[in-house]
Amino acid sequence: MSKNRVIGTLVALALLGAPLATANPFFHHLLIMVLFSTLLGVAWNLLGGYSGQVSFGHSAFLGVGAYATMLLHLKLGWSPWLGLVFGGALAMAVAVPIGLICFRLRGPYFSLATLAVAEIVRLVALNWESLTAGPQGLLITHLPELKLFGQAIDWETKIPFYYVIAVLTLLGMGVTFIVSQSRLGAYLLAVREDIDSAEAAGIDTVRTRVVALALSAALVGMAGGFYALYFRYIDPDAVFSVALSVEMVFIAVVGGIATTGGPIVGAIFLVTISEIFRERFQSGHLIFYGLFMMVIIRYLPEGIWGRLRFLLRLSTQRA
Amino acid sequence: METILQSVVSGVLMGSLYAMIAVGLTIVFGVMRIINMAHGEMVMLGMFGAFWSFTLGGIDPFVSLLIWMPAMFAFGMFVQRFLLGKIIAGGELNTLLYTAGLSLLIANLALLFWTGDYRNINVAYGSPPMRPFGISVSVPLAIAFVLAIAITTGLYFFLSRTDTGRAIRATAQNPDSAALMGINVARIDMITFGLGTALAGAAGVLLAPSLYLYPTVGEILVVKCFVVVVLGGLGSIPGAIAGGILLGLVESLGAVYVSVAYKDTIGFVLFLLVLLFRPSGLFGAGRT
Amino acid sequence: MALLEVSNLSKDFGGLRAVSDLSFVLNQGEILGLIGPNGAGKTTVFNLMSGFLEPLTGSVRLDGHELVGLRPNAIVKRGVARTFQIVKPFRKLTVLENVVLAAFLHEPKRVAATAEARRILAMLDLTEKADSYASDLTLGQQKRLEIARCVATRPKVLFLDEPMGGLNPTEVEAACDLVLKLRGNGITVILVEHQMRAIMKISDRVLVLHHGVKIADATPESIVRDPAVIKAYLGEEAA
Repeated sequence: MSKNRVIGTLVALALLGAPLATANPFFHHLLIMVLFSTLLGVAWNLLGGYSGQVSFGHSAFLGVGAYATMLLHLKLGWSPWLGLVFGGALAMAVAVPIGLICFRLRGPYFSLATLAVAEIVRLVALNWESLTAGPQGLLITHLPELKLFGQAIDWETKIPFYYVIAVLTLLGMGVTFIVSQSRLGAYLLAVREDIDSAEAAGIDTVRTRVVALALSAALVGMAGGFYALYFRYIDPDAVFSVALSVEMVFIAVVGGIATTGGPIVGAIFLVTISEIFRERFQSGHLIFYGLFMMVIIRYLPEGIWGRLRFLLRLSTQRA
Repeated sequence: METILQSVVSGVLMGSLYAMIAVGLTIVFGVMRIINMAHGEMVMLGMFGAFWSFTLGGIDPFVSLLIWMPAMFAFGMFVQRFLLGKIIAGGELNTLLYTAGLSLLIANLALLFWTGDYRNINVAYGSPPMRPFGISVSVPLAIAFVLAIAITTGLYFFLSRTDTGRAIRATAQNPDSAALMGINVARIDMITFGLGTALAGAAGVLLAPSLYLYPTVGEILVVKCFVVVVLGGLGSIPGAIAGGILLGLVESLGAVYVSVAYKDTIGFVLFLLVLLFRPSGLFGAGRT
Repeated sequence: MALLEVSNLSKDFGGLRAVSDLSFVLNQGEILGLIGPNGAGKTTVFNLMSGFLEPLTGSVRLDGHELVGLRPNAIVKRGVARTFQIVKPFRKLTVLENVVLAAFLHEPKRVAATAEARRILAMLDLTEKADSYASDLTLGQQKRLEIARCVATRPKVLFLDEPMGGLNPTEVEAACDLVLKLRGNGITVILVEHQMRAIMKISDRVLVLHHGVKIADATPESIVRDPAVIKAYLGEEAA
């Protein structure tokens, strides 16, 4: 336990200090993207990694969070940060019925169902123009003033955004850690192994999965809110896309399913590859996502961090 | 009345191609119990194969079927033997993720080499369309329809009349018993995957003169074909055929009577409903 | 009132009637053996009673409460636990963790659940294996692990589905002793088995199923002499 506390503290300190290492805004952007991707991976992992329910539709929750945040600010004048939290809550609310429907299915059928649900949500967002402005998307020109310790925060630079995403990511990792040590976490692992056995052990497998999904969706929803405020523009193809859902799967799988730290590794990989190839080939980075996914599944199914952790004896839990 | 008839005809023609792609997907599932997320990319490869042999070699796309179908068969066998074969033992989840990765890889390699520009093939007989009984029928699509039926019928005879075909059906029913009977299951898996890929590629070739071609077309196609396969019952060939035609009809009529925008949604909603209430397919033919 | 009352239980699979109008009672503290030739429907009966299958007709009452229609985990909460014919331990978890999972049902806190789990492992002679992965156990040990998991849910009734299948004679003896020990701890047991000697030795009563129909329900001594039973197992001539 204390080994974990030490690591956790070091990570927190590193996170706090990182942006101060340089004044280069591009570097700050990279850090933000790494943390954003980490949060997505962490959130996906709660459901996908721990309970083995592979969702290809998580972008639905991201989009719900993003649109909620934008619309609450643009149409009702809410503070965008309040909207962000509300976006997470809304995504959580939406996740429950989706889960109750989709969890009747197992394995790949579940995955396909999530894909179908996400596509339906995307198509609705695309076509319900009176609500979402359809393919035009939504734009936020500048963020309202917010004062911290008497000083107005300058939202034109990247550093404040960094701290917001850092807090959210730490929150996600904290939630993951707490769950992994709790009864819920144990139940999730049982569900991943064998649903019938889990039921026979007295575990309510539907409720267990719905709770995991709800937590996962809440985190992704808040990430969506962040996306909206950082990029200031969203449209259905950006936030509801299948590609985004697959990226989340990638981050968690490459990093290490069912580990707290795995998604960071996966996120670093993803963002690094993204940036290297963004200049040269337009979507060349996707080639490497695909390739890496294949290599990892074949040779390192427990993920990079999963394998490292096992080798370094940081955990006795087999992937 | 004419509009309905027109919709129905278009729907059936398109549906026959969906059916062919879905049959490829369903035999792979029936025999190997895997869900191949890269199936759509196989169709895409067939499409581009036809495009390049037409553009660079002047070969009529339907004639190029003779080149591409065996080529895709070989490619499928290669994928199974060297890539997928080792993954299947890792479980359904791993196989799903692996084939998702493969799908990303193939689609984006294609994007890299061939760019995202929309291409199309203009064959001499592409227009004007035929007008039997006042209904407009595109000539290439009609030819595709006929060939799709021919190929699917050929597959049917292969599966029911030849030894290899019977071996495939036996493996689909029970791989362990099949192995005990002396069937080389690894070889059957290779042949089955080859066949599935060949069907997908062939469908791509047949569709090439009728659609706009772009490397990421596989994404939407694979989802649609899963809808078909689930509608018809996973593992059932007649189900896949019926399901394909049904989807073609639903989309065609949906575009006219509901809205063009939401026509794709109808398929997905139907899909969810079937998964929830009749997971063995509308006709109860599938295995769950 | 009997502990468990099964009335008119039936189940069809396609055109086949797997279980036909089955009725019986189970009394507190009994060990009830359930036997029958292969395909008689024994595991199906367990699946029907534990919520893994829905019956066509019939009811299953535990202490007067209806169990039919409840999900398997709800039935476990009511006090009915079952093992599986083909063992299903949680392979990637340790033996201890396997039992802790089940202990969580009544002990939500990890510390208490772990203590309870250790106690149960001791009762089942699995203490040494507590930190081994479930997949590393022998078949006999895995069967005991599954029973340990059941015991952790504090069942009133325990369904054992062929607990002695695949065990050598020494292990079978040990399994018999275990079942008697469980009964001694206040658990009522229904036992499906093919090992005749074991069934005859420990059962208070035996139920015989053939083609889904109950053909006998009596003491072990009466069963072996029952012509209908002999016919079912050995055919017409032997009767």
